[in-house]
Amino acid sequence: MSIQNTCRYISTAVFSCILWVFAVPVLAQSDPTAVDTLNTANLKKHDSAGRQLCLGVDVVRIGANSFYSDRYAYEFQADYYARNEFYLAAEGGWGGSKVNYDDLKYTTTNSFIQFGFIKSILSRSSKTDWDMMMMGMRAGFANVNRSPVTYTVIDSVWGNTGTQSIGPTSFPVFWLEVTGGMRVEIVRGLFAGWNIRGKFVMNGKSFRDLSPLFIAGYGKGDKNANFDFNLYISYGFRWNRKPAQLK
Amino acid sequence: MIRNRYLLPGILFVLALVSVACTQQRQPCLTPKTASLIIGAIHFKTDTSTVPVDTVLPHATFYPVSSQQNFVTVYPPQASFTVSLSPDTGYCQWLFETDSLKHTPDTVSFYYQRNAKFLSNACRFTYFYSIDSIHTTHLIIDSLRILNNSVTNNVNTKHLQIYIHRSF
Repeated sequence: MSIQNTCRYISTAVFSCILWVFAVPVLAQSDPTAVDTLNTANLKKHDSAGRQLCLGVDVVRIGANSFYSDRYAYEFQADYYARNEFYLAAEGGWGGSKVNYDDLKYTTTNSFIQFGFIKSILSRSSKTDWDMMMMGMRAGFANVNRSPVTYTVIDSVWGNTGTQSIGPTSFPVFWLEVTGGMRVEIVRGLFAGWNIRGKFVMNGKSFRDLSPLFIAGYGKGDKNANFDFNLYISYGFRWNRKPAQLK
Repeated sequence: MIRNRYLLPGILFVLALVSVACTQQRQPCLTPKTASLIIGAIHFKTDTSTVPVDTVLPHATFYPVSSQQNFVTVYPPQASFTVSLSPDTGYCQWLFETDSLKHTPDTVSFYYQRNAKFLSNACRFTYFYSIDSIHTTHLIIDSLRILNNSVTNNVNTKHLQIYIHRSF
């Protein structure tokens, strides 16, 4: 078994475990006997937390750019606290890849955007508590621009073919992803958090004639599923905070 | 409030995944890159036989004609062989002997359509073929039968049966 496969299986196992661990408190919250005056009080307390818009940058991506010579990406995130521990989330960014093998040469660039939601699955300890363990879903879209492609087919019997070429093209990529992770407020308003993502492409067959080496936001273009991870440093802007209605 | 002690292990875990991922820049190609034509040798045991049987050839030898390489394949005793088709043209020839000592080769000519196929970034491009026709001389080979005219990198598909003369 290759290291790559081992890494993939470990990522899958860890991701599954995280989802499973997250599911336990979610199930616990669905206990019908828990409907009492305390819930009403908690709801008032949550409402008093106000609004928060959090903007962040993925520092893993920036760090990885210096390790990878054939790809780069920059990724940013934003989320907005709607209500009841439910956040609207968006990520966006851009990136590209460069394939410069002896027998295959091309470059790709793409920008991407994805929308979805985050559900915090921990209850707050106070109205100023914005730490969270979360799970969520996203729908992603990228528009990939591919340069002209040149390639040679290597054949040990008949000799290599002459250089062939394929013209430039652009194509869309759609994917869905599930995500889980956590975020902690380090100092007032400044957060650090990690999450792990499972991404599943929806229209992979449409660009299988030459799948990009790397699609910023999605990952390896020739895989139907990718697992990814992010480390976000973000800042939360807050307003409309109401006085707590709990004693 | 989440205690910060949960944050640090998570960050370290993610950084560990990053470091593992960064060592995997060049993926190995794990699928067959060359679309090879797979040949089975058979013959009829008697003049009245109706069912052919697999024919183990002692040292079947294949020479590509007009190859840029000086390439010869000598097989150990077996009944199944592979040859590659030229990716540069829609036509190629192989010389075929049942035994490298007999020096009575047949010439097998292949005519086909080529289709460039992208396998993956690790495996690059290759050619798949669609066979139009195959012709042969008849020194050792009695006749040919095309079983499957689509030649891909699927190594489990037999494409051609060679009927060997009973007297080979």
